[in-house]
Amino acid sequence: MTGMVLPRGRLGFLMTGAALLALILWLLAAQGLLPLTDWPAWPFRAEAMSLDQIRLAFGLMPRGVIALVAGAVLGLSGALLQVVLRNPVADPTTLGISAGAQLALVTATILAPGLLEIGRWPVAMAGAFAATLLVMGIGARRAFAPVTMVIAGMLVGMTANAIATAITLARGEYLLSLVIWNGGSLVQQDWSGVRALAGVLVFGALASALLARPLRVLSLGAEGAQGLGLNVALVRMAAVAVAALLAAAVSAELGLIAFVGLAAPALARTLGLRGIAPLLLVSPLIGALILSVCDGFVLAIAGQRGEMFPTGALTGLIGGPLLIWLLPRLRGSTPPGTEAAEGPAPRSDHPGRILAALVLALVALALVLVWIGRVPGGWTVLDGESFAAFLPMRLPRLIAAAAAGAALALAGAILQRLTANPIASPEVLGVSGGAALGYAATVFLVAAPTSVMLGAGSMAGGALALALVALFTARRDMPAERVLLAGIAVSAFASAVLTAMMAVGDQRSWQVLGWLSGSSSAIGMGAALGLAAMAVLLWGAAIGVRRWLAVLPLGQGVAGGLGLPLRQARLALILLAGLATGAATLLVGPLSFVGLMAPHMARRIGLARPGHAVTGAALIGALMMVAADFGARMAGFPYELPLGMFASLIGAPWLIWLMMRRR
Amino acid sequence: MTPLFQIRNLSVDVPGRRLLHGLNLDLPQGQMIALIGHNGSGKSTLLKALARQIPSAGHVAFEGRALSDWPARDLARRLAFLPQSPPPAEGMTVRELTALGRYPWHGALGRFGPADDAAVDAAIHECGLDPFATRLVDTLSGGERQRAWLAMMLAQQAGTLLLDEPISALDIAHAVEVLSLVRRLCRTQGLSAVIVLHEVNMAARFCDHIVALKGGRLAMQGTPADLMQAEALQAIYGLPMEVLRRADGQPVTVPA
Repeated sequence: MTGMVLPRGRLGFLMTGAALLALILWLLAAQGLLPLTDWPAWPFRAEAMSLDQIRLAFGLMPRGVIALVAGAVLGLSGALLQVVLRNPVADPTTLGISAGAQLALVTATILAPGLLEIGRWPVAMAGAFAATLLVMGIGARRAFAPVTMVIAGMLVGMTANAIATAITLARGEYLLSLVIWNGGSLVQQDWSGVRALAGVLVFGALASALLARPLRVLSLGAEGAQGLGLNVALVRMAAVAVAALLAAAVSAELGLIAFVGLAAPALARTLGLRGIAPLLLVSPLIGALILSVCDGFVLAIAGQRGEMFPTGALTGLIGGPLLIWLLPRLRGSTPPGTEAAEGPAPRSDHPGRILAALVLALVALALVLVWIGRVPGGWTVLDGESFAAFLPMRLPRLIAAAAAGAALALAGAILQRLTANPIASPEVLGVSGGAALGYAATVFLVAAPTSVMLGAGSMAGGALALALVALFTARRDMPAERVLLAGIAVSAFASAVLTAMMAVGDQRSWQVLGWLSGSSSAIGMGAALGLAAMAVLLWGAAIGVRRWLAVLPLGQGVAGGLGLPLRQARLALILLAGLATGAATLLVGPLSFVGLMAPHMARRIGLARPGHAVTGAALIGALMMVAADFGARMAGFPYELPLGMFASLIGAPWLIWLMMRRR
Repeated sequence: MTPLFQIRNLSVDVPGRRLLHGLNLDLPQGQMIALIGHNGSGKSTLLKALARQIPSAGHVAFEGRALSDWPARDLARRLAFLPQSPPPAEGMTVRELTALGRYPWHGALGRFGPADDAAVDAAIHECGLDPFATRLVDTLSGGERQRAWLAMMLAQQAGTLLLDEPISALDIAHAVEVLSLVRRLCRTQGLSAVIVLHEVNMAARFCDHIVALKGGRLAMQGTPADLMQAEALQAIYGLPMEVLRRADGQPVTVPA
């Protein structure tokens, strides 16, 4: 078949081209440092070299090699994860590995700097493995079912991220070094990093060779594999452990290099590779080339002064658009896991009562939280006088928090039904990332931005991201999986730009970082009421299209057969979700995962019909955000902690518990 | 009488392969029509093209009007389609699933009126699902679940049912039950049905009209009696087949 020959030729052509490009870029940088004739002779002996020779032999050369090795390690890790989780959007970040490493490093930097003197490896490794173990512990209860693993990984990851961001915010003087680490700098001082990662790569290659055949059997699905005598849980655990170790090693050595693990296998598949063994073989090569080319560009742009500009940030800059460009050509990707991740969702006979209880809880909580407060030295219930004094300050933020929570939850509920994918959420769709980008761009481009300008900036960013996602998915009957991939690509691009911006490290980085975690302190009554009106309107619209929401999860065969205008319905729902996210993001920042959690909770407490589920999700989202707002105000009194972080901290453990509860 | 489907020069392509090669075919109204053929013969592809689920080249007219000219909901009021292996319909009761069949009538915002209620009740009753109406679809057995999906199609009150391998996952008793139900509906309510079937004896026993495809082309069409000939069967499946007579005169076929 022609379909097989063409990609293979193109694959070789593209990879050769990329390799040449990386080599040329590196040579240019090396040539700029030292003319070829002056290069030191092998073996390198530092004592006999000039300073520039040392910088070449122990700086630039290991840097070029480590880009290849780290890229390969990440590509292999991503390929393993995508194969074993049968989820084309799985990557080392999805399992919370990177977030775990980040949290460990942040905590160590601030609480026990002495630990870091041993080196970053043990600390980051410990964090990465703690996160992975937690995720695997949760996954083990369901035989490592793919969907459970991804959801659990994302929950653990976002909790770790929230804590790490909060700690960073609380101790700003470490901001710069942490951001640099987060961005994944490839700067090397000797060959030790290369040696370490090369060892890890060899281990990974051996382990993958051993795992290739069991993984191919596993690709039949858990039941089929069991029937062939495969120990499904063992193979899954082994593969995830290997992938985690690979990713953790890179995290520890170089920091967060996002996207390579996701992009390499995706690109390999897009270029027409089939089968597990070729995927495991070619993904590391592609990963190595991606990282090398990215690092080559960093070197070319900044020369030897590029130490401040982390390469990990650039991988997203190049990888995001690349994936978006390749997306329409993607076919035959790994089917998402079809086995049920959670037990059957309960279904209440009295959804009305549940909804009424939720409304009551919301009202009661709001009343209580308005009335009590923290004073220096303890807690107090406000008397009439101070109540009157505090109300104008507290009411707007209470309203705004509830409205933002409801809007995010609505967006999540709509997206999860639209895509029939339990990990869909506004955060995944890329709207939040786009809004953050717009906000950051305003901060950096305008000398003294007003809040209106900031609002307009983030709205525009969100709309742009949404338009981009819609554009690439609006082709005939966009499949759910593609919406997700496009959204993730936009998110990756946005976060790469953000990281690069933050690496500048002045007080504007601060402003962006602070907003990223969300705060409701600055909101006025007018804006709060506007947000609330928006949330109510969105809820009305969602109720209006509840029949679409009932039909769409049944797949496009059924939906088309019933005469549902698939394309218009999907477009309208995406717009609705995007609008809700954009509005809420202005207030709480893009880090809250309310949009992911609230719809799950609504389902778990027995709200099955679309109308009930959407309403319940909105109420739960409002509840979570109101509680988070209170926590953010009180926990660090008299200082304020990030709102989005608190929402994650409240919601994630609850959701994990709900998911794991056996019925 | 206008044919149910008038198919002229219908081709379906996927990248690198042609699944249907310029098919010309008329399907009669008011009959139960079986689409048979070997794996990959294009029978499911043809059904999906008729349901307007996949893009195709050529001309198809449904009830005398070009298929592409039908607005989506108007089409769904006349033509009901059940995909192969329908999704689990998580968290939905049988009655709610059936009620989804009313979507073409009330649309996204219209009121779910007494007529809709009556149609849902009738569909549930017709499919013998009264005792299961409040059960969750994902707790039903395979045969019951397939009947629930049929009830959804019935609630659509379409004149034509398109079914893609509706019995492939069912045991023989449930397969007979589902096909009997479809046949009864065709007889009593004057429906037309186009059904993709693997099982040639089932097709011959339950259907009025047989369309056989081979390699994306029409191999034969005619009555079950035309099909149940050793030569015809060998031409369709590329395998020597033997036709036996049951005591009541019904022909059955087995590989020779």
